[in-house]
Amino acid sequence: LVEGSIYAFIATIGFGILFNIRGRNLFIAALGAGISWFCYLFTMKLTSSTFLAYFLASITAGVFSEVMARILKTPATTFVICGIIPLVPGSGMYYSMYEIIKGNASKALNLSLETLSIAGAVALGILFATSMIKIITYKKNNHVTS
Amino acid sequence: LVKRDDMDINRIIHIAANAGRIILQSGGETYRVEETILRICNAFGINNADSFVTPTGIMLSAADEYGQTISLVKRIHFRTVDLEKISKVNDLSRNIKNQGYTLEYVEHELDKIESLKKYSLRTILISSCFGAAFFTLLFGGNIKDFFASFIIGGIIKYVTTVLNRVNINDFFINIVGGSVASLLAIFFVYIRLGAHIDKIIIGSIMLLVPGLAITNAIRDTISGDLVAGISRAVEAFLIAAAIAIGSGLILRLWFIYSGGRFTW
Repeated sequence: LVEGSIYAFIATIGFGILFNIRGRNLFIAALGAGISWFCYLFTMKLTSSTFLAYFLASITAGVFSEVMARILKTPATTFVICGIIPLVPGSGMYYSMYEIIKGNASKALNLSLETLSIAGAVALGILFATSMIKIITYKKNNHVTS
Repeated sequence: LVKRDDMDINRIIHIAANAGRIILQSGGETYRVEETILRICNAFGINNADSFVTPTGIMLSAADEYGQTISLVKRIHFRTVDLEKISKVNDLSRNIKNQGYTLEYVEHELDKIESLKKYSLRTILISSCFGAAFFTLLFGGNIKDFFASFIIGGIIKYVTTVLNRVNINDFFINIVGGSVASLLAIFFVYIRLGAHIDKIIIGSIMLLVPGLAITNAIRDTISGDLVAGISRAVEAFLIAAAIAIGSGLILRLWFIYSGGRFTW
C-alpha cells in the first residue's frame, strides 16, 4: 500500500520535471500524486469497485490541489495535472488495444468501456472537488465580509 | 488614473495579448488566459476590454475613452507544457495593480519569463527514465521490467523531443512513440532483460499519455468554455488513439511473425 504510493511519488517527480515545475511546487505536486494513489489503493482494498476507487482518488487529488494552490498562491493546474497522472487509465488503454489485436471483439469492447468509464470517473472527481471548493470558499468569503 | 493616449492603449493590449499567449502556449486553461488578459487591461485602466480564447487562438478587443475600438488576434500554432511559465505570468498579472508596476516593467518581465529555460535535456531524459520505470513498478512489474522501462523511457523521450523539433504533428509523434515502446519492450523481453511485455509497455507509454489535455478538457468544461473543452477532449482522444495505433501496429506484426511467442 505504502510502497505503491512511494512509486507514484517518485514517478510523478519525474513527470513534474518534464512539465517544468520547479522547487517546492515539484515536491508538493508529487506528494499530491502519492496521496491520491494511496487513496485509490485503499479504496480498492475495501470495496474492489474500480470506478469508486478512481472517483475517490481523483476527488482527493482535486481537493489537495485546490487547497495547495490557495496556500502557495500557484495555479491549481500545476497540482491537478500531476495528481491525476497515476490515475490516467494507461493500462486499460493498453489492454483494450491488446484484445483488439488478438481479435477478441467482445473482450476488447468490455475493456474499452471500462477504460472510458475510468476516465469519466476521474473527470467527475475533479469536477466535483473543484466545485465543492468553490462553494466552500464562497461561503468563507461571505462570512469575512459580512 | 492618468489619462492615456492612443499609443498607450495599443501598447497595453499588446502586453495583455502577449501574456495570454505565453500562458496558452505553456498549456494553461482557457479561462485563465481570458482572466489574465482582462486583469492586465483593468490594471492599466482599460475597463471595457473583452477577450475570446480557444486553444488555437486569442481574440481581444478594447475601446478607449472616445469609443475608438482596437482589436487584436493572436494565432497559436504550437503548445508545450511549461507549468512554471504559467505560474510566473499568473503572479505577475495579479501584482500589477497592487504593486503599481509600469508598462515598461511588465514588458521587461514578460520578456524575461518568455526566455526562461527549461531543465536541460539530460535532466529531462533522466527524469523520464525514472518516471517510466517507477510506473512500471506501480503497475506490477518486477525489478527486471524496471530496468527495461528505465532505458525505454529515456529513448522514447529522446525520440519524441527530436521529432518535436522538426515540427511534425502530434498524432504522428505519438504513433512513433507507441511503436518504439512496444518494439523495445518485445526486444528487451526477447534478450531476457525484461519479464512482462505488458507492464513494460504500459509504464513507458505513460510518458505519452495525454494527462495535460484531459485535465484541461475537464477544467475548461467546468468553467463553461465549451468550445475549448471539446477541442481539448478531442485532442486527448486523438493522442490516446495514436499511442494505441503505434504500439498495436508493432504488436500485430509480432503476432503475425511469431504468433505472440518467443522462439529462443
